[in-house]
Amino acid sequence: MKEFIINTDEIANLISSLPADKWDILAPAKDGKSFDYVLSSDKPIINSEAPPSKISFKEYFFPKSETLFYYKREANEISLTEPKFAEKKLLVLAAKPCDAASLPILSKVFNWDYKDEFFNKRVNNSVIIGLSCAYSDESCFCTSVGLDRNNTKGSDIFLTPFNDKQYVLSVVSDKGDSFVKEFLPNLTEFTGTKETKEFIDNKPFDYKKTKDWIAANFENKIWAETGEVCIGCAQCAFVCPTCHCFDIVDENCDLNCGRRIKNWDACQFGVFTKHASGHNPRNSQEKRYRQRVSHKFDYYYEKFGEVLCTGCGRCTRGCPAGIDIGEIVFSISNQ
Amino acid sequence: MNIYKPELVEIKDIIEETPDIRTLRLQFKNPETQKAFAFKAGQFAEYSVFGEGECTFCIASSPTRPEFLECSFKMAGKVTKAMSKLNIGDTMGLRGPYGNHFPIEDMKGKNIVFIAGGIGMAPVRCIIWNVLDLKDQFKDISIIYGARTVADLVYKNELEDWKKMAGVKTVVTVDPGGETPDWNGEVGFVPSIVEKVSPKAENTVAIICGPPIMIKFTMPVLKKLGFKDDDIITTLENRMKCGLGKCGRCNIGSVYVCKDGPVFTYTQMQQLPDEF
Repeated sequence: MKEFIINTDEIANLISSLPADKWDILAPAKDGKSFDYVLSSDKPIINSEAPPSKISFKEYFFPKSETLFYYKREANEISLTEPKFAEKKLLVLAAKPCDAASLPILSKVFNWDYKDEFFNKRVNNSVIIGLSCAYSDESCFCTSVGLDRNNTKGSDIFLTPFNDKQYVLSVVSDKGDSFVKEFLPNLTEFTGTKETKEFIDNKPFDYKKTKDWIAANFENKIWAETGEVCIGCAQCAFVCPTCHCFDIVDENCDLNCGRRIKNWDACQFGVFTKHASGHNPRNSQEKRYRQRVSHKFDYYYEKFGEVLCTGCGRCTRGCPAGIDIGEIVFSISNQ
Repeated sequence: MNIYKPELVEIKDIIEETPDIRTLRLQFKNPETQKAFAFKAGQFAEYSVFGEGECTFCIASSPTRPEFLECSFKMAGKVTKAMSKLNIGDTMGLRGPYGNHFPIEDMKGKNIVFIAGGIGMAPVRCIIWNVLDLKDQFKDISIIYGARTVADLVYKNELEDWKKMAGVKTVVTVDPGGETPDWNGEVGFVPSIVEKVSPKAENTVAIICGPPIMIKFTMPVLKKLGFKDDDIITTLENRMKCGLGKCGRCNIGSVYVCKDGPVFTYTQMQQLPDEF
């Protein structure tokens, strides 16, 4: 892996020098007390110690609502037109490892057979600069799902703080290499040793053991216990970097035109699996919560070889009912 | 390629099967698409009414009759309600074919028992015609079909055609109380009619589709008759949106019904978590 030294001025220069008509920049910024990924931020927070944003950056690759095509009726003829796709490239600056890793994980489901060009175009059009993470709280558990503070999965370029003014820039992917050659051609090569903090997960679990336990415990009281607490609001799915369930609906502009859109949806909603006949395979919150945990730690791993979770802890931090998924999985893996 | 964008199809004919079930005969607007469209019995499609949305049904016509496609549906939700108001000549959208199919190659040289209940006849009708159009490649054919009432029977004319065919035993039944004074078929629930017909299990494949309750009570009958789990084939009808293995709606465990199904053997069904 090629490594360079980059100082904060050079990062500021990079942001101001990227042609605005060709590039959007997405970076964490402070909005009141919380952090969020903000588009074209002129004050990005490149701070390893910043907490994760409220919502992951998923929506920039898999939007909350995305037009699939437009339909128009004239006389009795219907015509369909493709949505225009933004030509601009996206630079994501200072992505947390637990956000960057979500892209290759999501790519599995969006490409395992039919290819979702909406997701792929957005990913191909982006360059992800990951940032080593020095934050942790009781909701974090990235190390238990095979990641860590310095994991470069999903990043094209990765920054590790070296001192107050300097970062070590690692080139991770070919896309990252091209970007550095084009926009950061004068960096000094780094040959020293990086010092990084270790993350100690206070409730570590073994995701392989968790998978086996879930596969053997479709019927278990833990699902009823959690299902009783869960209010089915699905905030966990919406803030999650890897939840990807969606709905497809039509939205009319008038009687003769409209668009078909793909909207975020979630397995925690009662109507999600409900048949038109009224039959509902997952007709209780107990079954729906079991589905969420099982899909993340058993089914997705079984099918795609990836845990559908990056341990970012957002679902736990935001849960209005106080459900802690890390705690649940920790207790599962220790049974 | 935009995998979510349907092709345009025109409604060429409409058959009112029952008070709430309709069959639409569809043809692609683009003759090239019609020519290129290939599917196998058991596969499904996503049908659109623009402005209302998409709905999932099996393709109810046989691949041996490729000049058109048919779907049969029961008026139940938003899209099927809209579909029940469409007329001949109207345009719809269609994406597909999706999913796996009945193992027709493996069924050749065997006896086939078709068991269907209600609208569950739609996927079975597709494979029935597929088998009947290649009849010399199969042995004895039995068709056992039941609905709640005489009025609820679908494909009424075709049931009569099948009754007249040599080498095909067709038994039609209605639930007790669902018969009319001139009804000359059976009266009784599908499981008991299967027991009465008692098809032999040796070298036989059973294809069964219908309401979950019918399947639940027919399985023990088939087991008693000696059918092996691998030789009992059914389809699962989970709610779907994309049909492409992405939207996460039809999953049962790690199985995507839209990709790994909708056709499953009874052996495969028993390996799934009990969530369908």
